[in-house]
Amino acid sequence: MPMTLTQLVVMALLQIVLLLAFVMMLVPLITFAERKVIAYVQVRLGATRTAGGLWGAQAGRTHKSRTLTGGLNGLMWYLGRVPMLSIFRGLPVFIADAVKLLTKEDIVPEGADKAVFILSPAISVISAFTVFSAVAFAPGALFTFPAWFPIVGGLPFNAFLTDINVGLLFILGISSVGVYGIVLGAWASNSKYPLLGGLRSAAQIISYEVPLTLSLLVPVILTGSLNFNEMARRTATEVHWLAIPLLFVGFFIYTTCAFAETNRVPFDLAEAETELVSGFHTEYTGMKFSFYFLAEYANMILVSALAAGFFLGGHYLLPFGFQTFLMKAGETAWFNQPSILFFLGKVLFLLFVFIWVRATLPRYRYDQLMHVGWKYLIPYTLVLIFVAALIRYIA
Amino acid sequence: MQGYAPILLLLMIAVSLPVLVWTLSRLLRPDFYSKAKYSTYECGITPVTEAREKFNVRYYLIAVMFLVFDVESVFLFPWALQMKELALFGLVEMGIFLFLLLFGYGYIWSKGALTWE
Repeated sequence: MPMTLTQLVVMALLQIVLLLAFVMMLVPLITFAERKVIAYVQVRLGATRTAGGLWGAQAGRTHKSRTLTGGLNGLMWYLGRVPMLSIFRGLPVFIADAVKLLTKEDIVPEGADKAVFILSPAISVISAFTVFSAVAFAPGALFTFPAWFPIVGGLPFNAFLTDINVGLLFILGISSVGVYGIVLGAWASNSKYPLLGGLRSAAQIISYEVPLTLSLLVPVILTGSLNFNEMARRTATEVHWLAIPLLFVGFFIYTTCAFAETNRVPFDLAEAETELVSGFHTEYTGMKFSFYFLAEYANMILVSALAAGFFLGGHYLLPFGFQTFLMKAGETAWFNQPSILFFLGKVLFLLFVFIWVRATLPRYRYDQLMHVGWKYLIPYTLVLIFVAALIRYIA
Repeated sequence: MQGYAPILLLLMIAVSLPVLVWTLSRLLRPDFYSKAKYSTYECGITPVTEAREKFNVRYYLIAVMFLVFDVESVFLFPWALQMKELALFGLVEMGIFLFLLLFGYGYIWSKGALTWE
């Protein structure tokens, strides 16, 4: 049934609201998870209490307080007495973080190029959000609106915003725009640390973009499509058995590049505190800093979604094309049904891997970073593409 | 065309979001001017020179090489999509293209453009 323009707009708006709410809720939760996971790796407790009320830090004694954070803290404290739930102690800290960032003074240094300085974090965050329009969280509809629903009644609510046939190209193109935010922000600060950090960051991101794009070519070659749904379905369920080790290797190369693309440990040279204070966003405060922060974590979600979609079996149960064997059991079996839960499970697992790696590995040196990118990953991906082409040619 | 309309909508919302949040924080946040606070950060000392000085030429080299390899991946995408149709002709053609590229790659490697010290 073709939709009218009003229906189209209303439906898209509902999807966008859900999508942005998902991303913007997940980001603070990742930061909380990051604190907790790293703490547990280092045999600490991490954040267990949200700082007292609004009248000073009397943490620990204020859990019966009438203030919002104090009350939440108290609730969480009692929840924490249940053995498994104790990891959620201190959860309200993410609300406190958001409030703090929102109410922090916003400083534009005097030497800075004011317009560019204000604009560049927005560029980063806009590109990081817009990219999600081509990501499909499930191949079909999540649910159908009941008939009594105004305007969009009876229409299916899709788990993707649009199903364009150049999905992957769109994602790569828009996510590359984010680097402008970093470079321009670094330049506009007119300060030495941000400039050096921004240069490093830009060189790193564009260097690793080459093997990243090339490693994504492997699923493109295997499926002959750029559509997110199509690629996710075919790499999961219709690959030649020879392609399974290929996807496996491709996944590791892609993930390595993804870590570098998002400026994460072990490739977080741009924010090497020991050398560059905090890299390109040294001069940024308050909300503008949190835009960069939001963009970085939204990009993490994006690269995890791409890895889950194209290498880890997308919306299906098994990764690396192993689902192909399961498909013989018949399409009606529950484990052969695509589901948003499988996809989100994989994305969350990959986000956990991001944190896990941060807690485990030390930082690379800059020359090692460039070395790995240009001398190893690019030749490896070229070989991978060649093998993928051969397999596609045979199969 | 219909598939791209929601993207435009998301773009509009994504553009308005930072503006809205920034305006909101503008209403909530304090704003006290102080000369020291608004000066450029340089480990606590007074900034001596302009930050926009000469920097290492390697960054420029990296950008040029990125351009080459990015154009390469732009060429690879259509081929990867039409592999079945182009068949052996495409495979050989792409092999020649990649060989030429690898030649250049070997050249920049031997010239030491990929080595940082």
